[in-house]
Amino acid sequence: MDTHAAYKSRWLPWVLLLPSFVILILFLYYPTIETFVLSLYQVAFLGLSKSFVGIENYKILFTDPEYLQIFKNTVVFAFFVVIFSMAVGLALSVLANQRVSGWRIYRLLLIWPYALSPAVAGVIFLFMFNPQSGIVNYLLTITLGIAPDWLTNPTLAMGLLVFVAVWKNVGYNVVFYIAGLQNLPGEVLEAALIDGATPWQRFWRVTFPLLSPMTFFLLIINTIYAFFEAFPFVDLLTKGGPSNATNILIFNIYRDGFEYYKTGMAAAQSVILFIAVVFLTILQFRVGEGRVHYGG
Amino acid sequence: MKRLATVVGLSALLGFAFAAEKVQITFWHAFGGGRTAFIQRAVEDFNYTHPGIEVKVEYKGSYRDTLNAAILAAKQGNAPHIVQIFEVGSQLALDSGIFVPIENYVPADLKFQLDDYIKPVANYYRIGGKFNSIPWNSSNPILYYNKDIFKKAGLDPENPPKTFNEVAQACEKIIASKAAPKCITWPLHSWFVEQWIAEQGALLANNENGRAARATNVYIDSEAMKRIMKWWKGLYDKGYYTYTGKPEDWDGANQLFVSQQAAMEITSTSDVTFMQNASFENGFELGTGFLPVPDGVERNGTVVGGASLWLTKGHPQEEQEAALTFLLWFTNTENMVRWHKGTGYFPVLNTSVKVLEWQNWFERNPAYRAAFDQLLQSKANRATQGALIGPFPEIRTIIENMVQEIFQGKDIAKALSEADAQADQALKRYNASVKK
Repeated sequence: MDTHAAYKSRWLPWVLLLPSFVILILFLYYPTIETFVLSLYQVAFLGLSKSFVGIENYKILFTDPEYLQIFKNTVVFAFFVVIFSMAVGLALSVLANQRVSGWRIYRLLLIWPYALSPAVAGVIFLFMFNPQSGIVNYLLTITLGIAPDWLTNPTLAMGLLVFVAVWKNVGYNVVFYIAGLQNLPGEVLEAALIDGATPWQRFWRVTFPLLSPMTFFLLIINTIYAFFEAFPFVDLLTKGGPSNATNILIFNIYRDGFEYYKTGMAAAQSVILFIAVVFLTILQFRVGEGRVHYGG
Repeated sequence: MKRLATVVGLSALLGFAFAAEKVQITFWHAFGGGRTAFIQRAVEDFNYTHPGIEVKVEYKGSYRDTLNAAILAAKQGNAPHIVQIFEVGSQLALDSGIFVPIENYVPADLKFQLDDYIKPVANYYRIGGKFNSIPWNSSNPILYYNKDIFKKAGLDPENPPKTFNEVAQACEKIIASKAAPKCITWPLHSWFVEQWIAEQGALLANNENGRAARATNVYIDSEAMKRIMKWWKGLYDKGYYTYTGKPEDWDGANQLFVSQQAAMEITSTSDVTFMQNASFENGFELGTGFLPVPDGVERNGTVVGGASLWLTKGHPQEEQEAALTFLLWFTNTENMVRWHKGTGYFPVLNTSVKVLEWQNWFERNPAYRAAFDQLLQSKANRATQGALIGPFPEIRTIIENMVQEIFQGKDIAKALSEADAQADQALKRYNASVKK
């Protein structure tokens, strides 16, 4: 078979690909490689001076109980964020997919949080959950007579961060799940209905399996979200506190790199995060492939 | 074609001629909000009165962002001429090697201005006997209190607590009388801890706070620190002390005090102007007092906080001179008076103080007085000079984490010794990275 059928010149496809390559190399591959290289150096002042230390940075990280704690925090955070934002997203989409009056408004409102900038969301939540003057504790005091210290208690602080991260990302999942729901083959659902399946059965036996490609896609996207995009919430709400209870990998990388000037250590952590996410994604593909039903 | 070339050539020449006429200076600072406008106005004044120089001023975000941006720009060979750097970044700035020691370049006829700095400020910024940078915004912590709540609680509104025990006693009355839901707040920030260490005449690092030689040991596990933590933990456990839960939350602490959720706040003197306006808007009478100190300890004084202005290396002589001209103008007697009135930051020159006294400023604005007296009464010694530690930002986080652990119930002695070990480790790694 002639693979060059569409192009007369052997070079033309490469020329056409060149712009993409230039951008990928400059902004993706080069920084990635540079990060790998930097992780083997002890770097002072954002690169003004550096010396080769081999895997010293990694050794320091893996023997540091604080880093292991941060790693654990990240796993807990990512797990709950992914589970909740997808479950809530799916539940809300099923509800919003029904043709009740005002469905357009419901859908719009569900997507709204996603359109808000994370920084703004962080600041709003900070105000709302202020232990003394926030609206949440004000309402809790007059209704239940309690005023939890949201950010001072390690469990509550982590819970709040998960809540904010979920709240922010549910809209994204809703958009995709609604699209998925609307593209389901109507005849299959109709057949199930005629066969006398209950709504519960119809959802779990028909709708949910048919949605599996979407679920799989969202699982990967949400995992990446939980690992990489939670930075503003941590930075604005807790700064990793109380005493590292909410410090997660991405926040620690920023802090080591740009607040403490430990560029080498930050690079090593980026590499670890990179490997962790790549590993998770591959795992999801491996596990997911057998279970995802692409229809057709 | 030829004609076009001539025109292009001529205009290029003209361009050069114009460029040569005005020396362009860039100045990066870390002040947002109203202070940006304040600085902008001063710079416009300067440009108007110095036709040969054009200063361009840019707000670069936080202190850390500004320092990062400056180091990166220097690495790429286009550093701004003047950079504002926070006090704990001083050792970092020295080690980075991108700045010139400013005192060597001050012209002889302007040297007098360097001798005009009030002692505590000169004390902090003279490193190895020399000014490496020009002191600019200086502040330290004072006690702000709500006189109306004090009256309600049956406390003397003209006599704020001066020691740790007095704070605890006042809190007991305030909470018992329900004059306010919480008694006292301050941002959970290492800065306050550093100040209380200095007030006790203790050091935060070896080699005389890193002033005699590079510091190699951080003193967190100390008696002075224990005293602070015991008191703080006591206030927290009794529900007297409150904070938002987020470390270094300056705005959050101000919000608690201004909304009258807390009767007292300890925070920077640079907020005097803000507090006066806010107390007026919220309808309560504001009082200020000295930073409360541990009982049975002689008040030693506070460390000057804030930032100074540094001159970067590697510019043509003419630009360097212009930058220096601007710096010395920007921090001269008149401008320091304006700066103090507009913000609450100290007038750092003796002559500025004289002007303010002559104007009866402190009598007419008593809130500014406590701030200033406290600074002048600080004793000049290694403790109040403040520590020079390379990885200071990281050590601050270690201290803040330690405080939060203590709140959660960790044994104070254990928390202190663990934090001490962590800080020493951080310092060791930093020192190793600088030596290479």
